[in-house]
Amino acid sequence: MTDATDPKTYARLPLPPAQSIWRMRYDKFRSHRLANWSFVFLVALVLTCLMAWPLSQYLGIDANKTNLLGRFQGPSAKHWLGTDDLGRDVLVRLLYGGQVSIAVGVVATTLMSIVGVTIGVTAGFLGGRIDGFLMRITDVLVALPLIPLLIVLGSIDLTKLGLTAAAANSSLYIFLRIVIIIALVDWTTMARIARAGTIQMRDRDYVRAAQVSGAGRLYNALVHVLPNISTPIIVAATLTVGRVILLESTMSFLGFGIVPPTPTWGNMLTNAQELIITAPLLAVYPGLLIFATVMAVNFVGDGVRYAFDPRAENEGRAH
Amino acid sequence: MLRYSLSRLMQAILVIVIMSFMLFVIIGLMPGDPLENMFEGNPSLTPELMAQMRELYGVDQPLLTRYWNWASAAAQGDLGYSSLYFRPVLVVLVPAMLQTAKLLGLTLLISVPLAMILGAIAARKPNGWVDSTVGIFSFAAISLPNFWVSLLFIILFSVKLGWLPASGSPMSDDASGWVQLRHMILPVAVLVMFHVGPLIRYVRAAMIETLSADFVRTARAKGVNENVVLIRHALRNALIPMVTVLALSFGHLFSGALVIETIFGMLGMGKMIYDAISNVDFNLALVGLLLAIVVVLISNLLADLAYALLDPRITL
Repeated sequence: MTDATDPKTYARLPLPPAQSIWRMRYDKFRSHRLANWSFVFLVALVLTCLMAWPLSQYLGIDANKTNLLGRFQGPSAKHWLGTDDLGRDVLVRLLYGGQVSIAVGVVATTLMSIVGVTIGVTAGFLGGRIDGFLMRITDVLVALPLIPLLIVLGSIDLTKLGLTAAAANSSLYIFLRIVIIIALVDWTTMARIARAGTIQMRDRDYVRAAQVSGAGRLYNALVHVLPNISTPIIVAATLTVGRVILLESTMSFLGFGIVPPTPTWGNMLTNAQELIITAPLLAVYPGLLIFATVMAVNFVGDGVRYAFDPRAENEGRAH
Repeated sequence: MLRYSLSRLMQAILVIVIMSFMLFVIIGLMPGDPLENMFEGNPSLTPELMAQMRELYGVDQPLLTRYWNWASAAAQGDLGYSSLYFRPVLVVLVPAMLQTAKLLGLTLLISVPLAMILGAIAARKPNGWVDSTVGIFSFAAISLPNFWVSLLFIILFSVKLGWLPASGSPMSDDASGWVQLRHMILPVAVLVMFHVGPLIRYVRAAMIETLSADFVRTARAKGVNENVVLIRHALRNALIPMVTVLALSFGHLFSGALVIETIFGMLGMGKMIYDAISNVDFNLALVGLLLAIVVVLISNLLADLAYALLDPRITL
């Protein structure tokens, strides 16, 4: 006679292997085929872009050196994708441009998440008038056209803010400027997500218990609320990277983002319009890379959403 | 309803006043100052004369005084001159607004029905092959850089095939309607592609939700034809919140219009703002941006009111 409550028998029953939540998420992500291929593509792309410096050394190329006698060359042993309208190597510039575009995407998304989450958690946790005020700002900002705001912010003369001309034109400041203005204008989605999560969390028993035992508001928000709303934030952040890369490339294309000689995929297309008849391929490569990268990032984002969101099971994958 | 509308209107006015001040500050940080930009390269202008001009136009006064001067003139209808076009700002901007209204209107006429059709057929069988195809299309539409698509379209349809003009507006002002329309085909196509991606995803999600509602099951149970269920019962209900989504997409659409007008050389609001900022035309940039914001805010307000009118379950 067997007794299921007998510890000896109980231990012999076949149990499913214990699965951590991360293991489950990993498996779910793996089941999203497009996201996996996109992830592989992105890793390969980043590694290739990092090859820019070694490759330029190997081929003996300076990415920013103009050579007016060697304009519009076709592919050759030295210039694998030929040269552009100023005789610069297209491939090396594409790889450097990729580094810049991806870096802007990641850094700006991080900064934007910090801004958005701070505003969202503050609004959700404090509630009342502060909440109303912050959400009013969010409502207005979310409706406004981003590109005009971004280019007017991008046209600001930093020397009027007290920077020296040399610093204002250094590539570090130009990079920081675009990262900061994108984060300043586009934090609204993140703030709304963080606020919604915080409101769900703030009245939970454990938060109240911590409050009663004397935890300060800041401590409570950081230690008890923030870790519990991290899932939607991670998902939203992944989906944001693609949009940020598009914003950066649009601004650089229009001449208000990263400015030459530093190459980015966006500013490599600025002159393409005048060269459409002479060298149409110059207009194809950078755009194709922007498109492929943003598409891959969006698929990975969709995979992350699918893996992290328990409700995603019923809704299915978004593709 | 009336009270709600009035309070929203007051809020919108407050926002516009605050935005005008913020933009005034930001635009003041653009390189140079208005007078320098206007008269640079004029050899007969001595520093003393310049100082006199500064005093005359009040450029040397503190920020708040300058804003107050600008705002009180603006409130009386004097929005200043454009230094780029040497004309009053409004004379430049009104035709530009009409041009942009045409571009956006045509885009909406195509993108909204397209999103409704694609979103609805995708939602019929979630994760089926139609859904996957539509999904990949909408993902691609979201990921495509609109300026690159414009360049590709110009290369393909204007340069290689020679079917369509590469510019968005005809050279002469009195071109017939058909000629104007022909010029707008490429810009509208790019803008539709830019606008339709998120809309499809929205319609699909809303349809999937509505299709699982009780009234849809009831309709099916009493034997209503599936297409009628889809269109009359589900789509009509799913579309009510779409008014809000559409209104919120207006800002996004305007961003796209700025890029596309600039590439196709259409003299709309977006290109005016872009040219004004590129050429440091302080007045034109300020008023252009403000007008764009006013239009976007008003359309949002109207959408909220329309939402309440369309959905009898909501009272304001």
